[in-house]
Amino acid sequence: MQRTPVSSSTIAEVGYDSGSMTLEIAFHSGGTYQYFDVPESEFEGLMQASSKGQYFHANIKDNYRYGKL
Amino acid sequence: MPNKPTLLGTVQDVQGATISVAMDKDTISGLSFIEGRGYRVGQIGSFVRIPIGFLDLYGIVSQVGAGAVPDSMIEAEPHGYRWMRIQLIGEGQRGGNFKRGVSYYPTIGDEAHLLTEQDLALIYGRADAPNYVRVGTLASAESIPALVDVDRLVTRHSAILGATGAGKSTTVAGILSHLSNTDRYPSSRIIIFDLHGEYNSALGERATLFRVNPNLEKGERPLQIPYWALQLDEFLGVTPFRDVGDTERTGLIEKINELKRASLVACPRVGVTSDTLTVDSPVPFSIHRLWYELYQFVCSTHTAQGANQGPTTEAIEADPQGNPLLGSIMGVQAPKYKPITSGGVGRIYLSGASLNIRRQIQALQSLLRDTRYDFLFRPGEWCPSPNQNNLDAQPQKDLDALIKGWVGGDKPITILDLSGVPASILMDLIGVLIRLLFDAMVWGRFLPVGARSRPLLFVLEEAHAYLNPGNKSLASQAAKRVVKEGRKYGLGAMIVSQRPSEIDSTILSQCGTMFAMRLANSNDRAHVTGTVSDNLEGLFSMLPALRTGEAIIVGEAVQLPLRAQIDAPPPNRRPDSHDPKIFDPKAVVGWNKPKANEDYSLLVQKWRSETP
Repeated sequence: MQRTPVSSSTIAEVGYDSGSMTLEIAFHSGGTYQYFDVPESEFEGLMQASSKGQYFHANIKDNYRYGKL
Repeated sequence: MPNKPTLLGTVQDVQGATISVAMDKDTISGLSFIEGRGYRVGQIGSFVRIPIGFLDLYGIVSQVGAGAVPDSMIEAEPHGYRWMRIQLIGEGQRGGNFKRGVSYYPTIGDEAHLLTEQDLALIYGRADAPNYVRVGTLASAESIPALVDVDRLVTRHSAILGATGAGKSTTVAGILSHLSNTDRYPSSRIIIFDLHGEYNSALGERATLFRVNPNLEKGERPLQIPYWALQLDEFLGVTPFRDVGDTERTGLIEKINELKRASLVACPRVGVTSDTLTVDSPVPFSIHRLWYELYQFVCSTHTAQGANQGPTTEAIEADPQGNPLLGSIMGVQAPKYKPITSGGVGRIYLSGASLNIRRQIQALQSLLRDTRYDFLFRPGEWCPSPNQNNLDAQPQKDLDALIKGWVGGDKPITILDLSGVPASILMDLIGVLIRLLFDAMVWGRFLPVGARSRPLLFVLEEAHAYLNPGNKSLASQAAKRVVKEGRKYGLGAMIVSQRPSEIDSTILSQCGTMFAMRLANSNDRAHVTGTVSDNLEGLFSMLPALRTGEAIIVGEAVQLPLRAQIDAPPPNRRPDSHDPKIFDPKAVVGWNKPKANEDYSLLVQKWRSETP
């Protein structure tokens, strides 16, 4: 999956595949995770958020199932 | 009056197997009478006999007239209309057996003779030989039966090719009705993959019909294909899990293996142990339970987080009476889970399962509820029906009953009518059916029921639909396996198609015997001509002009290439493939009849119930 680098203190890169509704996030700490069944609006919300780390903790983490790559 | 009435002319030019004959002046008239019977001279496709010593050489006329002048004679005889080009095909002792291939070649001046009916009868006429079956009569001499060698016809495969309306289905029905004659062949076994439901009317009394929506009163039987007998890739191909990623695939394999192993523990089956079990082993498991447990695994919510989750931590909703809403396995109803909460006491967490298959699980749920797929996912007596109290319920019957039903019935022919199978999985299912039978026959090859001791003929109708070059479908792979490897195991294929150019030429060239019927399309003709080994382009140039029901038969099952009028079955035993009449001056049919008050409600009823 193609990921775009973002400016954030926790998140390094974000990618999204609308076909499988998968959000892929690479963290500065090293791990890359896929979040499943994420609607596209959530991806857009993340990309537009002024603080991506905050948005991630509030809306994505714990709300979607995930797998580590 | 010539003193040799059968004499056609003399050999003037020999080039390998192609020889040129200058026709005798007396025979150019075109009609010759021998023993009171008239013979047309120089008919394309007719045979000639060239006696040399004690041998007779036999050839087939491929060209007549000016074009047949040998190259070396063009200058000398620019208007050489008296020529005939002949392809040598075999030889025989005078009055003895005919053999393919020639040991001596004719030389200049040898006589070429017409073949009389008596001569033809000598070559072809062995109606009493039990290994030969009559398929019709010679087109040129109706008194002589056209015989094909059953042995080679079945094990060396055959192809029946012809345009729509050339009489293909009738020919197939005619040949099969001879092959299924239980007086001659009490153990013949034939299985037809009938895509359009045509053959029941033709072979009804000799055949057992399996179809998706059977009319049980008429003796039809339900077509049921237990999903658990499929190999993993076949199984995934007919479910929404077709395109899942590697991680998900591995997860599914583990789950299916686990279910199969549990099934084997509950009901041990001879031949396989939990050590030798693979995900491809044909061991029953329940797809409904697979769905239910995958749903539990992926979509559940829990009162604990991640690694602490287990069956006891599931957060299942309860009805007003306090009973948990567990759903139902066979009813394909999912358990109802509590929504996740973001904190506080009694927080509900998402399942920690890291498989990205939630959407596929939901698609499987609606697939399992779709009654059109019941023949596959609820295959009657082969369907395990587990419930919460008996998760390892076993199907009532095992595969032996299934295979016995298909190829071990009372009647020699089995028709698998696939007209009710959803188009999206039709090709996969044909592949599965062929592969299942192939595997069963290959592994059982040394048993009395195996195909080595009781060969099995596959009749593949509309084969161009899945045997086209580059087709990677399961049907294509399975049919190719039968054609390429089947012979060793006693499996024969009869490929039937109206679009030979769409059939992989490696498949066609594996067909030892070819029944070529009328073909108008030049691509199709070129494809057929290109795959026959004999030097017979001349014969095949007749393809566009063949009559309905006429076939050129070449290959291993016939002594000589022959043009035959195939015996048509009686009118009440013909395939249901004839075109509807638009207008018939003799009858009130189609558009010719007065319009009546029409009732379309029955039509909708039939449509909804999917029974014609």
